[in-house]
Amino acid sequence: MMASIARSALLRQAASASKLSLATSSAARQSIIANSVRASAFHTTSRRNLLPPLPQRVEGTVNDPAPVPEPSPSHGSYHWTFDRLVAASLIPMTITPFAAGSLNPTLDALLCATLLIHSHTGFQAIIVDYIPKYRTPRARKVFTWGLNAATVVVGLALYEFETSDVGLTEAIKRIWHA
Amino acid sequence: MIAQRVGTTALRRVAASPSNVFFTANLAKLGMTASSIQSTQTRLVATQKLTPTDAHDILAAQRLHRPVSPHLEIYDKQQTFFGGSIWQRITGSAFSGGLYVFGAAYLVAPLIGWHLESASLAAAFGGLPLAVKGGLKFLLAWPFTFHALNGVRHLTFDIGIGFKRKDIVKTGWYVWGASIVTGLYLAMFV
Repeated sequence: MMASIARSALLRQAASASKLSLATSSAARQSIIANSVRASAFHTTSRRNLLPPLPQRVEGTVNDPAPVPEPSPSHGSYHWTFDRLVAASLIPMTITPFAAGSLNPTLDALLCATLLIHSHTGFQAIIVDYIPKYRTPRARKVFTWGLNAATVVVGLALYEFETSDVGLTEAIKRIWHA
Repeated sequence: MIAQRVGTTALRRVAASPSNVFFTANLAKLGMTASSIQSTQTRLVATQKLTPTDAHDILAAQRLHRPVSPHLEIYDKQQTFFGGSIWQRITGSAFSGGLYVFGAAYLVAPLIGWHLESASLAAAFGGLPLAVKGGLKFLLAWPFTFHALNGVRHLTFDIGIGFKRKDIVKTGWYVWGASIVTGLYLAMFV
C-alpha cells in the first residue's frame, strides 16, 4: 500500500495533473500561466527599500518588549515649549530688518543668538528623529556631541562676524544690493 | 475523499483481482501513481543539539532578516512629499547648514588665505552677471520665505487652529504659492 510519506507528493501531482488536463485549449492554458505569474509576483516581496532598516539589536530574549524610554519633561514637554517660544520670537526679529532697513548691533546680536538656538534645536530634532538611541547608540552620541561642538564654533564665528565685521543683517543687505 | 483521486482505491481494486488492471478507471489512476512512485519525495531529517542560548541566538539572527514594509513608496505623496513639514525641515536645515558651514569657514579663512569678509563677498557677488545674481537671490529667498510662512502655519497648528484635514491641505498650497511669489519679489525687487 502507499506509504503515508508518499501520499502528499501524490496529492500534489494529482491536483496539478487534473488542473492542467482540464484546460485543453492553449488560450486557457496561457491564461492560467499568466495568472500564476501575476499571483506569484504578488506573493514575493520586492527588495526596493527606499530607506533600508537601521541595524537591529535584541536585548534580553526575543520575546521581551522593546524598552520604553524614561519620561523626562525637560527633554520632552519643556523642550518643545522652549522651541516654539524661540520660533515665535524669531518672527518679529526677522521682519524688523526688512522694515527698518538695518539693525543696530544689539538687535543684530540678539537675532544671531536666537537664530543659533533655533538652528541647534532644529538639528537636534533631526538627529532625534533619524538616529534612534536604542538601535544606533554610538552614532547618536557622535552626532549629538558633533552638533554641540559645531554650535559652539558657529557661535564663536558669529561673535567674530559681529565685532570685526559689519554684522549679519548689514552683510546680507550689502551682498543683496551689490 | 482525496484517497480515491490519488489511486489507492484503484490499487485496492487491482490487488483484489489482478484482471481489473485494464479497466479504464483503474488504468488511468494506476498510470498516474506508477509514474510517481519513482518521484516520491523523501526527506532526510537530522537533528542537532542546541543550548537555550544558541537557540535564542539563531532566533535573534533570523529576526534581522525580516523584510521592511514599504512606507514612503506607498503613502499618499501629496501628504508626505508636498505637505510642507518635510520641506520645512529641508529648507531649515539648508539655511542652518549653510550658516554653520559659513561660520566654520569664516573662522578658518585667515589660516588658509581665503577672503570671506562681507566686503569681499559683496564685491564678488556684484561681479556676477544679472541673471546669475537673480537666480542665486531666488535660491536664497525662496527657502527663507517658505520656512517663515510655513513656520507660522505650524505654530498655528501647535495652538490648535486649522488642524482639520482639508484646512491643512488648503493652507499647505497657500503657503507654497505665497512663498514662491514672495521669494520672486524679494529676489527681483528688493
